[in-house]
Amino acid sequence: MTTVLEVSNIRKSFGGITAVDGVSFEVREGEILGLIGPNGCGKSTLFNCILGQLTPSGGEVKVDGKVVTGLRPSELNRLGVSRTFQLLQVFPKLSVRENLILAGQEHQGNMMSRLFGPSDAGLTEAADRMIEFFKLDHLAGETAGGLSYGQQKLLDAAMAFMGGPRLVLLDEPAGGVNLSMLADLRERLAAINREQRATFVVIEHNMEFVMSLCSRVMVMAEGKVLAMGTPDEVRSNAAVIEAYLGH
Amino acid sequence: MKGPGKYWRIALGVVVIAGLIVVPLNFNRYGLFILSQWAVMTIAAMGLNLTLGYAGQVSLAQGAFVGIGAYAAAIMTTQGMPLAAALGVAVVLCFAVGWLLGYPALRVQHHYLAFVTLAFSTLAFLVFRNEDWLTKGIYGISNIPRPTIFGFATNRPLPFYYVCLGSLGIVSVAMWWLIRSPWGRAFLALRENPVRALSLGIDTRRYTLMAFAIGSALGGVAGTLYAPLTQYIDPVPFNLSLSLDLLMMVIVGGAGFFFGPFLGAMIAVLLPEWLRFTEGYYLMLYATAVIGLLIYSPSGILGILDRVLAERRSKAASARRAVAKSGLEAAP
Repeated sequence: MTTVLEVSNIRKSFGGITAVDGVSFEVREGEILGLIGPNGCGKSTLFNCILGQLTPSGGEVKVDGKVVTGLRPSELNRLGVSRTFQLLQVFPKLSVRENLILAGQEHQGNMMSRLFGPSDAGLTEAADRMIEFFKLDHLAGETAGGLSYGQQKLLDAAMAFMGGPRLVLLDEPAGGVNLSMLADLRERLAAINREQRATFVVIEHNMEFVMSLCSRVMVMAEGKVLAMGTPDEVRSNAAVIEAYLGH
Repeated sequence: MKGPGKYWRIALGVVVIAGLIVVPLNFNRYGLFILSQWAVMTIAAMGLNLTLGYAGQVSLAQGAFVGIGAYAAAIMTTQGMPLAAALGVAVVLCFAVGWLLGYPALRVQHHYLAFVTLAFSTLAFLVFRNEDWLTKGIYGISNIPRPTIFGFATNRPLPFYYVCLGSLGIVSVAMWWLIRSPWGRAFLALRENPVRALSLGIDTRRYTLMAFAIGSALGGVAGTLYAPLTQYIDPVPFNLSLSLDLLMMVIVGGAGFFFGPFLGAMIAVLLPEWLRFTEGYYLMLYATAVIGLLIYSPSGILGILDRVLAERRSKAASARRAVAKSGLEAAP
């Protein structure tokens, strides 16, 4: 099986604090890797280093065998690497549909065709398919800022999938989402993973969500990788129980 | 409900355009000058509305670009070159300078960016005033000719008013196209949430520079019309206060609304004329009106309209939801 994401020895320090301290791992095609660990252990910083939002102090990131360290987030996104955010990151004054159209538009054509070509180019249709897939039909025309927190989370996830990404990094997709919506979200993610062979890395604190969705789980503590294995292996790992899960 | 609303809007548009063509036929020289000035300032304000209103990048330099356009037109047409050539030079020059002015916006935002652009505005004014060999300094450039278009001389006020109005029409259509293209959406994304935009593949750097460059180029277009309109230019009209006036037009009309600059320029150019009967008080009344408006509606005049429409929409939506809900409850 091919390796989609290869992270080697990534480090990131802010002044005297080392947030990520030599993290290495691989994610294989079609895999869903869970990333767990206590608050402040460097999960989100690791994401931001992988995605080019932060420049790592050291180490290397490869996507499909190509070194992408130092690329800007927009360039990475056009290579098929997408993300969702821990905190709400939608375009609040635009409608749900417009949010999704925006999320897809840079993945087709070039700057010139985006100015002089058709302003739609199938984007509305693609957005409506995504709206249906994430069961946001009744909200398609509403402004995103008026949606509930959970609905905005769903929209945020839907936006990450608009460009047909190969690799998606999801930062706490389940945070603040109610139980029935959560089951929906899990089912949607699993479906995209199955049908489009999309590869995921998911940061999440909801253990049930992680353990049921992910094929492997990586545990971080104090900027380092503490454990890596199947959900069952991780759950019974003494160090993990000590640092994170609790007795 | 959507259908008839659309027809009303088209009808209103036709009436306004017809009015702008027909009503000034019996205006005097001064009335035509004011109306032409409105058209020219609207073009400049539309440029700033793109940079500020749509893309969210503060600029206090739009007046400087009007100046660059005006000087390009004045210098070239007094040397016997056609205004169209001056227009081309002004657009390319302002686009390029605007692009460069966009670079600070990649590092600083909001009031810091305002100060950077303010410094540029001052710099441009000093060039207009001090580089006598090019701009004739404080003596200014006089006898700026008006163009002959397709064999029609536009020396008289009415034909030149139609030149300004026609230019405004062309710019409006182009702007309408631009903001409805994916570029327009990307500009909005830049304003609304640059971090998210970046993660969706939107090259925020390139779009920021484009927002500056295109907005500035429109300032240049306005300038190329301003010079033959007044037929005499010196550096004074292009100092910082013009940039501030243009900023006010955009904010008062409604930043980020297509018709904001039309209304804003109308208020900035026409209202002082209408208030002239109050003698010495008109500036005070004008200032009070602007303060009052911005307290009541920080998003400008069109912001008020938008608020009313949004309220009506959300009422209609909740009514629909209530109907749907009662339908569900009634179902067995």
